[in-house]
Order: sequence, then structure tokens, then C-alpha cells
Amino acid sequence: MIRGIYAMVVLDLKRFWLERTRLVAGLAQPLLYLFVLGAGLGANSQQGGGNYQRYIFPGVLALSLLFTATFAAITIVFDRQIGFFKAVLVAPVPRSAIALGKIAAGALQAFAQGLIVLPFAPLAGVRFGILEGAELIGAMLLASVTFSAIGVAFASRFTSTTVFPIVSNAVLLPMFFLSGALYPLTVAPHWMQLAAHLDPVAYAVDLMRGALLGTFFFPVPLSLGALALIISLLAWASVRVFNRGEDDSSLGATRFSWRR
Amino acid sequence: MEANTATGLPAKRDLRRPGVRNLVRTVRAAASPSSAAESVPAVEVCGLRKHYGKVEALRGLDLTVQPGEKFALLGPNGAGKTTLFSILATLRTPTAGTARVFGQDVVAARDTVRRSMGIVFQEPAIEHKLSGRDNLLLMGLFYGLPTAQARRRAAEILEQLNLTAAADRPATTLSGGQRRKLELARALVSDPRILFLDEATLGLDVDARRGFWAQIRTLAAAGRTVFFTTHYMEEAEVADRIALIDAGRIVALDTPRALKAKLGGGVIRLQTEDDAQARAWLESRQLPPEAGGTELMLVHADPAAVLPELLRSLPVKVHRVTVSEPSLEDVFLKLTGRGLDGNATTTSVPATTAAGKGGAA
Repeated sequence: MIRGIYAMVVLDLKRFWLERTRLVAGLAQPLLYLFVLGAGLGANSQQGGGNYQRYIFPGVLALSLLFTATFAAITIVFDRQIGFFKAVLVAPVPRSAIALGKIAAGALQAFAQGLIVLPFAPLAGVRFGILEGAELIGAMLLASVTFSAIGVAFASRFTSTTVFPIVSNAVLLPMFFLSGALYPLTVAPHWMQLAAHLDPVAYAVDLMRGALLGTFFFPVPLSLGALALIISLLAWASVRVFNRGEDDSSLGATRFSWRR
Repeated sequence: MEANTATGLPAKRDLRRPGVRNLVRTVRAAASPSSAAESVPAVEVCGLRKHYGKVEALRGLDLTVQPGEKFALLGPNGAGKTTLFSILATLRTPTAGTARVFGQDVVAARDTVRRSMGIVFQEPAIEHKLSGRDNLLLMGLFYGLPTAQARRRAAEILEQLNLTAAADRPATTLSGGQRRKLELARALVSDPRILFLDEATLGLDVDARRGFWAQIRTLAAAGRTVFFTTHYMEEAEVADRIALIDAGRIVALDTPRALKAKLGGGVIRLQTEDDAQARAWLESRQLPPEAGGTELMLVHADPAAVLPELLRSLPVKVHRVTVSEPSLEDVFLKLTGRGLDGNATTTSVPATTAAGKGGAA
């Protein structure tokens, strides 16, 4: 099991390393939010431009983690198409190890991308000491695993990458916008505050923001508990999908045709 | 993860002797009862059925493959080859019936079965972005080898298959033949007792195919069982035995020679000093030549078996002998009314659904 997870992580990280330029390209989106959207909206906000950028920095970090993690998960669909998984599926590896390895690998990639966004913090007016930094890293790791689990739970059900933009628009963006990443949840309408309670991204953003600014919207134990629960649920859901692959699998489905 | 001791599988490879394999096996089995496991069939399929909804892909299949055998599965597209293959590969579960690989059930003892086999799929199953070496290393990891050992194993196989020079380039840059070899290398990472090849040489040119099969022959000579499907007749000839499969059933199962003999056997043509005398002699020996024609032509179930004796005893001088065999394609055509490419010459697909109808759960 552990060896299977390890193999999966090594595979994905080796491939990730081949495309390490993506780390640079992956900076575009968060920086755009931070310095264009942030500067523009900030000029208009009561908090003043610099303060607003400081405020949304954790949210933008979450955005970066969210999209990197889900994009990493999409490789499942490619794997299915290139057939490499076929070979993995006939190896004595538990399906659950593949699912969990995929989640771990995606989380590591997201985390790496997050670390690259981090140096831009001072430019957004964010300063933090060692303790805050450690808290932030911890929150980022937890967020990475959560988002990776979300990505894998979705991607394991896809048979084509063309669904990705649809999911990204219908699921990821709403989760991001509802999370309070770009505005304080305290001033949001009541229904949005309620909805945020159901949004994993909201807990992740709140933990990161709390680490940096010291104020939390949710109680910290609630956030930690909610994220742990979401990770377990989604990991379990992904494992279930991968296990279904024993017959008429989503993983091995592309190859078979029953025309007679 | 040392499954062999746990599952009672024989210690690996001690069966691998080139040449007189059967003899070795018999002697061993007789010598020590504890090695009885070695006489367990490599593949044993009993009453295997597979339904996909209403479609019956397999309609009750039985076959046995002995260890060390090269066994070919031939049939048109949609005959059930891939389904059988997937079941043996533990990727699908049968609707009814059982399949065992070295005595282990493909459903109940899935992981043991997986450890004992290597598979080359019809479609690519390597990560093209990574180098060959990385591909093998990763496969080793997936088979539970520690990193150092996986690395060693990868180097070993690359060496063995003459791929070392190309091992560190991304797999995309390899030629078609090299890539297929890499697939084979991948299948060998687990040091399998049985190799499954599903149309492994599809799309390769003749040279690359020959190279691939030379490799397979070497592996088989070293005692590995090889179970394969193919569309190329000359590849099927490599097999010790062939199963012809059509519409989810085995229509014939025998050695290539015997299969062809089923068609009425081989054809022997003789040119002699005195054909009339030869004809009379042959008739007296219950080997009547075909009537008419300007030459002596006789059809026999097994020309190779009768010919030496015939040539020795024939009282007239023989100038020339030719023996021609019907092709496997002909055999298949005769048995099913269709060619192996699936084109019907006569539309006579038997609509046999009665047996499997009640659903064999």
C-alpha cells in the first residue's frame, strides 16, 4: 500500500518535473488577481489599495493551490488515454494506493506552486514572522491536500479532459468566489455566510488568512475538523471509484469495444 | 510482499531450462511430491462466460495451457479474444466459470496472479514523456520493489533486450520497434512466469516484428509461458498450440500442424520415374492418390509423418516431392465460414443464445 502510494507520487512528480516551466506559467493567474484585480478593486474599497491586496493575498494563494491541484488531478484522464495506467492496474497495487498516491502527488504539486507565489507576499504588503510563516505553511499543506482530493474525486469520474473547463466553471469558481477569498465574509449577505460553511475553500482560505492576519471567521478547530472530514470523504469517494475499475472500469474503459 | 512463500508458489524460475522442458518437469514431479505445483497448468479456463448486458462476449470457454508452452489465441475482431485476455489479466471478472493462472484464481487470488504475469497490451502502456529507464523503474516500484532494486532490475532488462543505448531518451523519441520492446521490457519487470501478449506487434514492420519475436522465443526457451493473440499468421505458427475462437467459443484447439491437417491435411505431390507404377504401389498401401491430373497428388492428414517412410519404400525413383499445407486462414474459414479479418464469405453466424440465456450468475 505505502509502496504503491510512493510509486504513484514518484511517477507524478517525475512528470511534473518535466513540465516545471508550468510553475512559472502558473504564476500568471494569482499575480493577475493580486496586482490587477486587487489593485483595481482595492482603489475602490474602504480598506484602501494596499490593505485590500494584503487582505486577498491568502485568497489568491488558495486560488493558486486550487487550480494547480485540480489540474494535477486531470492527469488521471490522460493516464487513461495513454494506457500507462493499464500497466499499473495489472500490477499488484491496491486501487486505493493509486487514488491516495494521486491525491498526495497533486497536493505536493499545488504546494510547490504555492511556495512560488509566496515570495510575492511583500509586494502585496504582507509581512510575517517565523511563527506566522509556519502556521501559513501548515494551512497551505492542509489546503493543498483538500484541493487535491477535490480534484481527484472529480477527475476519477471523467472520461475526457474536455469536461475540465465545465467543472472548473461550475464548481471550482463558485467555490472560490463563495469562500471569502476576495472579500470579508463578515460583510457578505447572510446566505453567502451560510453557503461558505459548506465550502471547503472557505475553511482553507480562513486558516491561511488567520495565520497571516490573526483574525478568523470560523473557529480554528471547526476549520481543521471540516477540512479533515472533507479530505476523508473525498479520498474515500475516489478510492471507491478506483475500486470500481476491477470490471468495466472507468480507468480501463477506453480500450474495450463490444461491437460484433 | 514476498508472496511466493505465502502462496505456496514454487520458487521462481527453477523450471526454466531450454529444450527438454517437459522431460525436466516430469522427472521433477516424480522425484519430489513437494514440487507438484510445477505441473499445475499455466492457464486453466473452465466454462468461462462473460456477458455485457445482453451481449455475450464469451459463451463457455475451456482451455488449458501447460507451463512453458507458447499458446496462441486466434480469431476475428469481436470473437472474445480481448475479453478472455482481460479476464486472465485480472482486469475483468467472469460472469460465470473460472480462470486460473498457475493454479490461482484470477478473481479470488488476484494479487498473486498479478505477480506471476507480465502483459504487453495492444495499445501503448508506457509513459512516453519519461525515459525507458524511468518507465521500468516506476513499474518496479509499482510491483513493490525497493528503489535500489527497481533500478537494478531496470538496468538488467534494458541490457537483456538491447535497449541500453536508448534507455535514457524520452520514450517518444524511440522507433516503433524500440517502443514495443520497451513494452516487453515493462512486462518483464516483475520477472513473470507467464507473458501475455495482446496483438503485441500490431502496426510494426516485418523487421521489427521479427526482432520482437526473436526476443519472445528466447524468453520462451528460458521456460516462460507465452500466451498471445495475433493477426499475423506467421506469428501464430510460432505457437505450440493454437485456439481458434469465434463468437465467444473455441472452435478448434490444437497444434498449428494438426489444425491445418483438420482441413483434410497436407498435400503431397510426387514426380517419379514411373508414375503409373508408383500409383499402383500407393493404392496397394492404402494411400490412394487423387484421381486424374498429370501428377501424383495425395492428401494426407499428416504428410510429414508418412513422407519419410513413403520415400524410403517407394519402388520407383522419385525426382521431386512437394508438400504444401493449407494455411491457418483456410482452417478458420472452413470452421467458421469467415476469414480472420471478420469478413463473412458466407453469412452463417449461428445465433446460439439458448445456453447462456438464463443468465449464469
